[in-house]
Amino acid sequence: MEKLGMILPLLVPIIGALFIVNKRLISDKNLTKVVAVTVIINFICVVYSLFFNDLTAVHILKVNAFLDIYFKVDQLTRVFSLLASSLWVLTAFYAFAYMDHEKRHRQFYTFFTLTLAVIMGVAYSGNLFTLYGYYELLTLCTLPLVIHPGTAEALQSGKKYIIYSFGGATLVVLGMMMLYAVTGDMSFMAHGIVDLSLIEGNRDLLKWSYLAMFLGFGVKAALVPFHSWLPNAMVAPTPVSALLHAVAVVKSGVFSLIRMTYFIFGTQTVMALDVTKYLMPFVVVTIVMGSLLALHQDHLKRRLAYSTISQLGYILLGILMLTPNGLLGAMLHLINHAVIKITLFFVVGAITHMTHFKYIHQIRGIGKQMPVTMICFTVAAISLVGIPPTNGFVSKWFLGLGALNIGNFLYIIILLLSAFFTAGYLLPISVTSFFVSSKSEPHERDAYQSNHETLHEVSDDSVREITHEMAKDTIHETAHETENKTLRNEMVAAEFSEDGEAESTDAKPIKLEPPKGMLYPIVLLTVVIVGLGIFPNPIINFLGGVIQDAF
Amino acid sequence: MLQCLTLVTHNTASPNLVKLIPLVSIMLLMLSAFIMPLLKKKRHLFGLTGGALAILMVLSFVNVAYIYQNGGYYFDIGHFPAPFGISLRIGEIESLIALLFAIVDLMVTWYAYYSLEKEIKESRIAFFHTMNLLLLASLLGIVFTNDVFNGFVFLEVSTLAACGIIVVKDKKTNIKAGLKYLILSSLGSGLVLMGIAFIYSLSGHLSMDYIHEAMIANLDGKQNTILISVILFTVGLGIKGAMFPLHIWLPDAHASAPSPSSAILSALVIKAPVIFLIKVFYKVYGTQIIHETVILDLVLLFGVMGMIFGSLFARSQKELKRMIAYSSVAQMGYIFFAIGIGNTLGVVMAIYHIVAHALTKSSLFLAAGSFIEQTGFKHIEDFRGIGKEMPVTLGIFTVSGLSMIGIPVLPGFISKWNLAMASIQSDKLYLLIFLLISSLLNASYYFPIIINGYFGEENLDGKVFLSKSKPIKQLLPLIILTVLMVLVGFFSGSLIEFIERGVYTV
Repeated sequence: MEKLGMILPLLVPIIGALFIVNKRLISDKNLTKVVAVTVIINFICVVYSLFFNDLTAVHILKVNAFLDIYFKVDQLTRVFSLLASSLWVLTAFYAFAYMDHEKRHRQFYTFFTLTLAVIMGVAYSGNLFTLYGYYELLTLCTLPLVIHPGTAEALQSGKKYIIYSFGGATLVVLGMMMLYAVTGDMSFMAHGIVDLSLIEGNRDLLKWSYLAMFLGFGVKAALVPFHSWLPNAMVAPTPVSALLHAVAVVKSGVFSLIRMTYFIFGTQTVMALDVTKYLMPFVVVTIVMGSLLALHQDHLKRRLAYSTISQLGYILLGILMLTPNGLLGAMLHLINHAVIKITLFFVVGAITHMTHFKYIHQIRGIGKQMPVTMICFTVAAISLVGIPPTNGFVSKWFLGLGALNIGNFLYIIILLLSAFFTAGYLLPISVTSFFVSSKSEPHERDAYQSNHETLHEVSDDSVREITHEMAKDTIHETAHETENKTLRNEMVAAEFSEDGEAESTDAKPIKLEPPKGMLYPIVLLTVVIVGLGIFPNPIINFLGGVIQDAF
Repeated sequence: MLQCLTLVTHNTASPNLVKLIPLVSIMLLMLSAFIMPLLKKKRHLFGLTGGALAILMVLSFVNVAYIYQNGGYYFDIGHFPAPFGISLRIGEIESLIALLFAIVDLMVTWYAYYSLEKEIKESRIAFFHTMNLLLLASLLGIVFTNDVFNGFVFLEVSTLAACGIIVVKDKKTNIKAGLKYLILSSLGSGLVLMGIAFIYSLSGHLSMDYIHEAMIANLDGKQNTILISVILFTVGLGIKGAMFPLHIWLPDAHASAPSPSSAILSALVIKAPVIFLIKVFYKVYGTQIIHETVILDLVLLFGVMGMIFGSLFARSQKELKRMIAYSSVAQMGYIFFAIGIGNTLGVVMAIYHIVAHALTKSSLFLAAGSFIEQTGFKHIEDFRGIGKEMPVTLGIFTVSGLSMIGIPVLPGFISKWNLAMASIQSDKLYLLIFLLISSLLNASYYFPIIINGYFGEENLDGKVFLSKSKPIKQLLPLIILTVLMVLVGFFSGSLIEFIERGVYTV
């Protein structure tokens, strides 16, 4: 019974997915309800198995020391599984509203819930073999989500995604093989399983093993030069992009790196092997290059994607510092970045959903139409830059402390420089949306007209691009567009009827706030961002357990 | 479960009767093969084949259970003991391979019951079954025998029978492929015969154990003769086992033959000579002599080349069955790689991979055969969106493909992992790179088929869900093969242990 209680989080989403896939059992109408019930039950099961279940380790299938499917709960599991399962609930509700204009809902929700099961598996894995198995499954389960639009472009991106992922996984296997040849064991233990005495005679083997695994897991964590699958994966529907960036894919890469560094090798061994000096250049380049590339992206989602690459670099930097403060900073940033990035993506998704705008130059003045949404965006952006009292500041503070502990000022300079760049690529979005006028009478504006306005303004080059974009939009979504338009007209009508005087003054802009299903998660997450910034202590205390296991 | 069954067999059947099983299985198959031409009706033909194979499967299972309990044994044919008469040696490996062959052949026959007449003329069905049973009998003979000349005879029989199941389709390409196979295989058997002549002149014996003893006794000054003979054996059996540069007959034969034949060729026919090669290496020559020659390094080199180039060729194929055939070349590369590593784990993994690959490749060929049968297409391009029309069949294809790529717990991954361990044990760390490159290459040609089959707006356009799916009773053999394949992965620990017990002293 206790066993079952422990592995319930791994099973519930799979059972849910089995229901969802069955057309006869669940009608299209009830689809979203089943998904909602599944993710919520899963969240409850996670909480139960993490805090109210005495059993913390279970072998599902143990054939020998190598072939051993083993699940274990420790503090790191708690952090990651709670983060993932709670964000999954929010994303689910957001997706219900967002997916209106997408096709093949059943396929989407099936893999959406299956991916949750896989992520739980990653979090609960008790040894490297199980982790690796789930890591491969993660690629297979998220692939259908990435290529969901089904266009040739999407399939191309999917191909890239799978090539990079399998390449990385192959490197991981290489590392595992070398590790297992030395240790004969792959389970996660506090302070690591590679004893200092093992280093003698196996130094090269262990060194190569660590490097291979770091680069291998680094592919999922978007380490430069293995990052380019991530911006390409932006063809996915926004809830998927948000999850890929916030928890599902990139963070499982980071999580695996923490597992590998602190729970397989152990701090002392990694220091003795002296491997971080080979990896630091990769990480530094990741931070700087991600920010620089983000600066000149016009596509909203791509800009956020490059921002993710840079921010993940921070986390990797914290992991490689090998100090308690560094790791604490990395863990904090793992959580904070997840919350921030998911908010940013939700906002961008909301903009696309309401207006079909995808580029930054198109969203001039949109802040007046979607004030709440854009305020949330601005708060999240400020937090990502690292300005108090938001949570981004807290994690960067500890990363800075970690860098000071090892006496490396270069890292601090890089952190500050990158924060500057972050401000450079995120704040203009807020400024554009709030303060740049779209030079048109507010009440005349609807999606088509503002599109035309933009068309007149921009140079010839981008005209072609936008026309193409619009052509695509109109071809694919004409029906929906009309529907949206009527919706908007109704909203305008409602607006005017509500305050009759407004009609005559013409001062009020049209409200384009997204539906409640999308707006509430965004607002809730923004509150969390600020809340975690003002009261960081509970989280820091919670992470204390991980730090204790590691050092 | 195995233990339970051993208890049962131990109590009911007397051990002497169990020792008759190898001979009885070969006789049973041969007799059924010769009765076959007398039968006319399709139902009777399949009934006889299926019955013979089912009995064979049960017998082989009892044999495995007995050996699990009591270990291997020798069996003298007739009443002449070993140096003069022919003896069979059945250990863990031989019994396991026999069981594998029986299961795979039974499943292929089951599949063939529903689809064979669509690929070949009705009048040829009896011929197919005769050849199939004869082929299986000769393959079992190759696996069981402890006498090199006896092995050669069975090798020749298997060549002719295999040629029979290739040309059974009566098309121009089949005749061409059959002739190519016949000529190359005869060349291979000829080389084996020359090898036998060399070692007979050295030792004066044909029975493996006696040759080994005689060779150990007068080793001095014979190094060159030994090297020549071992190379003759390796090249001869390498042709039959599709070792890389000698594989040229395989893609034509596998691609043009009817799907059940392709499955049998890929799962069984190229495996038996490899078992024979391992026996020649470790039972005839012995570890000591083999390690003094360069032959293992050569086998390793050819294995690596097969792994890489086989996959590269597979990538560039347009036809589905040719692609799978080249993938077989790559997988045989793994087996030769394992032999070439030259330690115990290597040989054990060679046997394990033979089991794993036989199950995987037969289900792949049968799945591909179903696609071709239901759609009438041959080229990979045309199978876009097939996942909507035949979801279960593509699912089977996917699981097998994932095993080839090396997803954990599936047998492909277990093989790769243990091969890596074996390479590390023998201080050949650089070999890991080839293993991993080849698994990436595998991914590069299996994944596009799977992804284009299940996903993509354009691919799925106009395809009707489940429209071309076969009924469940026709899919069952494929499902059974796939389930067995997954089980071989899950219980790899005990399976490897079982093989390890029977491995010739390395």
